[in-house]
Amino acid sequence: MKEEIELIKDGKRLDGRGFDELRPIKIEVGVLKRADGSCYLELGDNKVIAAVYGPREMHPRHAQDAKMAVVKFRYNMAPFSTDDRKRPGPDRRSVEISKVCREAFNPVIMRELYPKTGIEVYVELLQSDAGTRTAGINAASIALADAGIPMKDLVSSVAVGKIDGEMVLDLNAVEDNNGEADMPIAMIARTNTITALQMDGRLTKEEFERGLKLAVGACHQIYELQRTALVTRYNQNYESKSKREEE
Amino acid sequence: MGLEIVNDVRTDYVCDLVKNGKREDGRGFREYRDISVERDVIKRAEGSARVKIGDTDVLVGVKVELGTPFPDTPDKGVIITNAELVPLASPEFESGPPNENSIQLARVVDRGIRGSEAIDLDKLCIEEGEKVWMVFIDIHVLDDNGNLADAAALGAIASLLNLRIPNERYGLTGENTLPMRDTPVAVTTVEIEGNILVDPSFDEGNAAASSVTVISNADGTLSGMQKSGSGGLKEAQIAEMVEIGIEKAGEIRGKYL
Amino acid sequence: MYQVVVPGDFLSEETKRAGEGTYVEEGKVYASQYGIVNVRGEIKVVALSGKYMPSNGDVVIGRITEISFPFWIVNLASPYEARLHVSALSGIAREKIEFGNMSEYLDVDDLVVVKVMDVNMLMKIELVLQEDVELRRGGRLIEIAHTKVPRVIGRSGSMIKMLKEKCNCFIFIAKNGRIWIRGKEDDMDLATTVILKIARESHTSGLTDRVAEFLDSFRKEKERELRG
Repeated sequence: MKEEIELIKDGKRLDGRGFDELRPIKIEVGVLKRADGSCYLELGDNKVIAAVYGPREMHPRHAQDAKMAVVKFRYNMAPFSTDDRKRPGPDRRSVEISKVCREAFNPVIMRELYPKTGIEVYVELLQSDAGTRTAGINAASIALADAGIPMKDLVSSVAVGKIDGEMVLDLNAVEDNNGEADMPIAMIARTNTITALQMDGRLTKEEFERGLKLAVGACHQIYELQRTALVTRYNQNYESKSKREEE
Repeated sequence: MGLEIVNDVRTDYVCDLVKNGKREDGRGFREYRDISVERDVIKRAEGSARVKIGDTDVLVGVKVELGTPFPDTPDKGVIITNAELVPLASPEFESGPPNENSIQLARVVDRGIRGSEAIDLDKLCIEEGEKVWMVFIDIHVLDDNGNLADAAALGAIASLLNLRIPNERYGLTGENTLPMRDTPVAVTTVEIEGNILVDPSFDEGNAAASSVTVISNADGTLSGMQKSGSGGLKEAQIAEMVEIGIEKAGEIRGKYL
Repeated sequence: MYQVVVPGDFLSEETKRAGEGTYVEEGKVYASQYGIVNVRGEIKVVALSGKYMPSNGDVVIGRITEISFPFWIVNLASPYEARLHVSALSGIAREKIEFGNMSEYLDVDDLVVVKVMDVNMLMKIELVLQEDVELRRGGRLIEIAHTKVPRVIGRSGSMIKMLKEKCNCFIFIAKNGRIWIRGKEDDMDLATTVILKIARESHTSGLTDRVAEFLDSFRKEKERELRG
């Protein structure tokens, strides 16, 4: 029998967060040399790296689309990323997540500019702590921008869930394993357009609505972090260089 | 190539109709096609149901077997949901290992049943850590004319409601019925040209930018949700989809379960 | 300081001025690229990276990847491969170019300077040879993002002029981001260093001045070394 864990004490979560508080996020742009674009992202204890290749010639040829680029998205967990070793290679969960993530980007990638090509997005979970797909989408968004892929917007993602009867933001693994519901979303912050939505567990309609509000607000925060990471990458380079030159 | 052009034409046609407030089969935007649920259609299965929504035809069979529990849940039975999009059901289905569409279908149905806690997994335990009942829900699509998710989910819960536990086969005694604690029902809506349509036909499903499946329970709570498709949705549209989902699930539950 | 934008950033309401790297939605111009905004004339976003898209009239450096009579298949550092027809070489060939002797003229991995003649709807790309640039006699190829080519050239060619003089090299810059340099080893090393520096710092202002300073200090250092 699993022990009941108290997830909320004195109005705080086990890791000290408030209900509407994200885990710390760290973003590094352009971390891989061979990829056309890349991003390393930490969301709490999640460590994820995303790489983008393309647009490049699409193989096999019959998978090409004569009118637009085909986006491939592969979400993969490293065998050592979880407590129990994960068997390498795609499983049903990762196939589904890959599909949902790919679709989350379809509204923003200007695929019609590159007929017959493939744009490949690879997301590797190096260390996982719940919310892995949201971390993956956030990293992939930056990697796509870094690869110079024309997009209408960045995509930002976060999960909201229910623990001890409360709707809270961005569940960690303990909360996810012992919680009552989990709902990851992805959205375009500028237009408040939701591009991915999943829910499992059990929620009332009111809880769902409250959760969605919470998630939408948090996506705006994440968007700002993504944007800042991209913009400061070049500004920082410049500043550090000009300082060096002054010395 | 030929197929692609035909699809484009169909998509334009469907979109034009929707713009004018119409659907290709004359339904209202919030109207389901005719639904039928036929139970216990497979003798060898411990539970089964054949669900038709319009021309969409899905057969769900549930097998119950004795097995060992997962190490992390030694006192709980196991539910395994699988879906096969067999080539007989559509010119677009191919034989081979499950693809992302069949995996998504199975996982959405599974999520609804699990989230609702319709099956009391504790009651499926015979001997902690050793022997539990394993419930295999297999979704077999026979004719894909759109909205497989709702048909599959309805077939799954209908099969489970009539489930017989095969005690005798394993020399066990005990209750042969499994009381269901809830009746999750899936309702899929799509967004076409800014309109929300329930129960998409095949062409509507192709024409839609986004589709959302909402699974809700007898008390109106939600126990699963999944957006698919390449479009984006506004919060208000999702709220409307959830609203319709709960309402329509109530109607379907009342009539067919 | 150049302004860095990301996809979806609002740029302007003057939709008529919307240029490359932007898109218009509901009467507003937004960035479609991660890059540097340029508002002189058109509102443009110059991407910081991305793949070269062949366009009619571009002069590019290609690499032969395959021989498939009567074409050489040419890689242009683009998502699409291009074709060069045997007739392109007929003017300089000693004999008729046929299936069997194509590789004597251009072999796999050879570099060619070519001009894009036609890009059709199916992204089939036809090339012609630019005979005025010879790449086969000793030299070095550098690849940078094609979006950074204008910075290496500089305003009205100021940067490239300086590079050629101070590095004492032949430098040929192609539209697809491939740069051919030829000269003494030391000079080529210097030119490579400087070109990569320009590509790395292409988003910064005052680049021409900084490169000039860099080249001067490098020369002074060299002279000091020589004097011992």
